[in-house]
Amino acid sequence: MLVATAEPALIDRYGRHVALDAAPTALLWLDTAAAVALGDGSVCWIGDGADPEAVPVHAGAILAACRDPDGAAIVTGGDDGRVCRVSPAGEVAELGAFARKWVEHLVASPASGLLVAGVGKEAICWTTAASAPSHRYAVGSTIGGLALDAKGKRLAIAHYNGATLLYGTNPDSGRVALAWTGSHLACTLQPEGRFLLTALQETGLHGWRLADLRDMRMGGFSAKTRSFSWDRKGKWLATSGDAAAILWPFDGKDGPMGKPPLLRAERTGALVTQLAFHPKDDVLAVGYADGVVALARLADEHTLLLDTEGASITVLAWNDAGTRLGWGGEDGRIGLLAMDAHA
Amino acid sequence: MASSPTIPVTVLTGYLGAGKTTLLNRILSENHGRRYAVIVNEFGEIGIDNDLIVDADEEVFEMNNGCICCTVRGDLIRIIEGLMKRRGTFDAIVIETTGLADPAPVAQTFFVDDDVRARASLDAIVTVVDARHILLRLEDSHEAEEQIAFADVILLNKTDLVDAGDLAQVRHRIRSINGQATLHETQNCVVPLEAVLERGAFDLDRILDIEPDFLSEDDHEHDDAITSVSLRSEAPIRPELFMPWLRTLTAAQGQDILRLKGVLAFPGEEQRYVVQGVHMLLDGNYQREWKPEEPRTSRLVFIGRNLDPAALQAGFDDCAARAA
Repeated sequence: MLVATAEPALIDRYGRHVALDAAPTALLWLDTAAAVALGDGSVCWIGDGADPEAVPVHAGAILAACRDPDGAAIVTGGDDGRVCRVSPAGEVAELGAFARKWVEHLVASPASGLLVAGVGKEAICWTTAASAPSHRYAVGSTIGGLALDAKGKRLAIAHYNGATLLYGTNPDSGRVALAWTGSHLACTLQPEGRFLLTALQETGLHGWRLADLRDMRMGGFSAKTRSFSWDRKGKWLATSGDAAAILWPFDGKDGPMGKPPLLRAERTGALVTQLAFHPKDDVLAVGYADGVVALARLADEHTLLLDTEGASITVLAWNDAGTRLGWGGEDGRIGLLAMDAHA
Repeated sequence: MASSPTIPVTVLTGYLGAGKTTLLNRILSENHGRRYAVIVNEFGEIGIDNDLIVDADEEVFEMNNGCICCTVRGDLIRIIEGLMKRRGTFDAIVIETTGLADPAPVAQTFFVDDDVRARASLDAIVTVVDARHILLRLEDSHEAEEQIAFADVILLNKTDLVDAGDLAQVRHRIRSINGQATLHETQNCVVPLEAVLERGAFDLDRILDIEPDFLSEDDHEHDDAITSVSLRSEAPIRPELFMPWLRTLTAAQGQDILRLKGVLAFPGEEQRYVVQGVHMLLDGNYQREWKPEEPRTSRLVFIGRNLDPAALQAGFDDCAARAA
């Protein structure tokens, strides 16, 4: 079913907009407080009903951010080459500095305590609570994306002409080289570590079934895939880059091979840019290039309109409890929705 | 929501020692009130004084899009996307390439990647040429020739180090490769910056003033030398004939066609149509209305190897609307 954008949006009844002065590059939740990483180098903390509080962190833009594995702060990476830990109280601690480099990727795992930054051609790792880099892995070309499995041990590094798999907690880890011609960008590991998917420069996804390194090709996208989201059971992978959220089935051992994807929240004239599965329900939040945000049910194609207009949605995230949803557009307009208000 | 204007990008090319970094520092030090983001290659040895400098890796890769010569700069795609996150802190981008760089992947990056195209546009390729060494360079390097071929603006630099006869020879050689670029003769790259930066459509407009095919066959240095062919038509060009012709031509001869540019008058159309290409990649759109006094002449310029001026003109003529 098409998303009907004429109906009233939920944000007007159960949420609010906050206008920030820079482009959001990440939105993360700690309980019910949202942290928005911005293109002007600051992190903006927005508590429930509170005014936003900006913390200056980087000299340039924040290019990547993730939650600290301890869940008590966020970690940011900037085009000033620094990796910083930023707490809700506004304390900033530098975890690493890489002169004249950009920190473009950050992933972390509460399960293993590992934090990994993608800096040029190196994946730089911090083990649990380390305040300086513990070890690093170099690959042959600039890193396009990083991913960890649910245990936080298996680390995938996407780069030109393929990807590299290793055990991120082991400094002397062996490597699996996965070769496929092209420029591989964002990547994601199926939570159990059975599949690795990368987004290609030419649009479409490349996948590997890791048990036997069998290649998979998932095409048909009209734009590059930049957003991946796994449902809570690891059965569905939602992907951006087309006029609908494209959901690939991963429940069988063959993954999506030979099976059609599920299309949800289809629109005409606007591409899906961001998506996020609800952490506890079969519901998917979808953001589009024209600022619309919708909620789609897996079961029956029913959709709910959350936001009706704005600039291209660049960030979208649920909090762990699934009671808050936050999104942001390129123009700095942030939407925050409280889902428990009408549960 | 209306899309924001694209950020102009100037690409500086030129063989080692020609004076690229001198030009870059001149651009950055002049008091023009513009803020530049500068992308340099990481092996540059001369210091550059600017707030926003990004190191590039010149990571060239081939696109899997069925276009056999379509190489792009993956690092530029990434850097431009990253820079756009700090939008508002700079007005334009300058990219300095290494002396040995082939300009094609840089130019193609601005044609191929949708996200780059939405945010940035290639304003001009500026090539700095060392007057004293260029003839020798052209003998032993394809890159030197291609850097001249790709240029919208050429700075023939270090003219104080050659005598008048040698300078005339160099000038003639450059013109035989690229007949349509704006040529400035300089010492220490001293040139008004508006001749180099944020040219807008100016360099495209210039092709309307070029005399077609002013070079004779004798000017060809050797069989695979790069030459320019300039075509014109007083009769309006029919888009339903022109587009397929150009697509077929670039599909068949795209490897030899380095650049093409055109300004076209379509029958009954008040807007000028402009077309640009690099190898097999084409990009065209309506630019602005023809001015009342402007003659509606269609012009098309090719720069490349093994170009057949007579065949190209005949093909172009076949696309012209016959007088009723």
